[in-house]
Amino acid sequence: MIASIAQRAHRNERIALNVLRFAAYFVIFAMAVLLLYLAVEGTKTFFVDRFSLFSFLFSPTYDLDSNHPGAAIFIVGTLLVTVFAIAVGGPFGIAVGVFLSEIAPPRMALVLKPAIELMVGIPSVVYGWLGLVFLVPIIREHTSSASGFSLAGAGIVLAIMILPTVISLSEDAFTSLPQALREGSFALGATRFQTIVRVLLPSASTGLAVALILGIARAVGETLAIQLVIGNATAFPVNVFAPTATLTTVIVGQMPSATEGSLQEHALFSMAFLLLIIAMLLILVVRFALRKRS
Amino acid sequence: MDIMATPPRVLNSLASSSGVKARKFADRTATVVLWCMASSIILLLAAFIIYMFWIGARYLTPAFIFGLPAETSAGGGIGPEIYNSFYILILTLIFTVPIATAAGVYLQEYARPGRFRELVVFSAESLATVPSIVMGLFGLLVFVYLFKWKFTALGGALTLTLLNLPALMRVTQEALSSVPDSFREASMGIGATKWQTILRVVLPSAIGRMTTGIVLIAGRIFGETAALIFTAGLSVSTNSPYDINPFHTAETLAVHLWYTHTESIVPDVDRIGNGSALVLLIMVLVFNISARVGGRALSKRLTGRPS
Repeated sequence: MIASIAQRAHRNERIALNVLRFAAYFVIFAMAVLLLYLAVEGTKTFFVDRFSLFSFLFSPTYDLDSNHPGAAIFIVGTLLVTVFAIAVGGPFGIAVGVFLSEIAPPRMALVLKPAIELMVGIPSVVYGWLGLVFLVPIIREHTSSASGFSLAGAGIVLAIMILPTVISLSEDAFTSLPQALREGSFALGATRFQTIVRVLLPSASTGLAVALILGIARAVGETLAIQLVIGNATAFPVNVFAPTATLTTVIVGQMPSATEGSLQEHALFSMAFLLLIIAMLLILVVRFALRKRS
Repeated sequence: MDIMATPPRVLNSLASSSGVKARKFADRTATVVLWCMASSIILLLAAFIIYMFWIGARYLTPAFIFGLPAETSAGGGIGPEIYNSFYILILTLIFTVPIATAAGVYLQEYARPGRFRELVVFSAESLATVPSIVMGLFGLLVFVYLFKWKFTALGGALTLTLLNLPALMRVTQEALSSVPDSFREASMGIGATKWQTILRVVLPSAIGRMTTGIVLIAGRIFGETAALIFTAGLSVSTNSPYDINPFHTAETLAVHLWYTHTESIVPDVDRIGNGSALVLLIMVLVFNISARVGGRALSKRLTGRPS
């Protein structure tokens, strides 16, 4: 009797382990299939349609009538909005991260943290909608922009959207620093601000870099929040208040009307594959940085 | 400088020298600036919410929330879209929760450090950074082109499963790691197997945190858009607006908000947009609040201690 209970427990143990391991295999399988599938579809532009990779990356002519899907405009667009977002949201996010870790009294943290969590939860299409009904009219009235749809508007929306990522990761970077660093600095007579700038910031630099890189990853892949405010013009922006387009916005804008198997569809898949490569490269950089630290 | 030999007047001036004053001033200024920056985030969020209510609240009539959408005329509602959002959310959770929990338990409790564990972690991290639009195109390739399902609620839900799997795995791992090892030792000490320990001791202790995480992720699934445009489709089911068949198209509220603005020809885009955006925002608020309250209550009931 006892033996059979023990046997059953042992059998359950084995079954459970196999089921759990299966789930882990599934994660690897899903990522592998995704990568392979998008690699195959994403390179059809080059292998099936014989369009050159160089022209795809560097040609500013996106003209489907002449079978010339150069993606340089969209690549530059993605680059510009990302730089804009990280230039505005990055320092701001790190500053609030410092605040949460070093200055905020518990009561303030109790309000700020749920607020940040709520910002993560707000759908990107709602951010985009707010940009459309609030930001676009302001830009239209107060700048040279005729339509109000602009790179700057998209950058501002993105900067707000990456804030939660940058804040919580940079807060982690600061809280994980040993207390002895602060004590040593204070004992030498440094003020809190001096301690933050001269001791904590340099010590947390790896963690802060990771915070910024993951912010960049979020910005690069963001779609609808940008699509509603950037204007979707197939042209380089002449200034920050000019409309343009990014890799993500052109995919979401053109995919619904692209025919299966057409050059246009292949080019859009190539752009998606490019986005995937960028995201994975950023992850590799993060892993490398974290491994080096430990 | 020999301090003992220095006259007191000089010492005084050293202590209150302009250097010290300037440093104290800089410190105070920085503190004020950082306080302002942090407060501005709360103000921004508050302004955001108030503005959304300001422009949208007047449209939230029963006819709008429960009514059927109109394709060409004004006055359409969003009833089926709200239904579809919940329908796809539930489908997604049915797939995501078991797989993510299992993978999370495996990583946290069973996997030994090594190649395989590294590979699982790396795959999960990569999956987590795949942009949702790219995941949407993958869903299009697999469910629409390969399986020939056309646009379906099921295809949308499976795409969202892949998108949210890593986040939920992390939630599981963090919840499990918050359970003290003494719990496991006590359970195994009275003869329980590892699996019995996990099932009867560790998971019940972790359930509060897990629920909080799941509900927060549910809020994100509810508002997901880019991954659904090419998988669940841009229109509600033609069979019945409240369709239970997972193999029919199912436009969600978030997709409807985007699509109404970008493509449709109804004259009252602003009304539908402002109203839908507000409904989405309210839902996110509800998910966030219930995540906190619900997780705490559940944890207390199952373990007798707050999470």
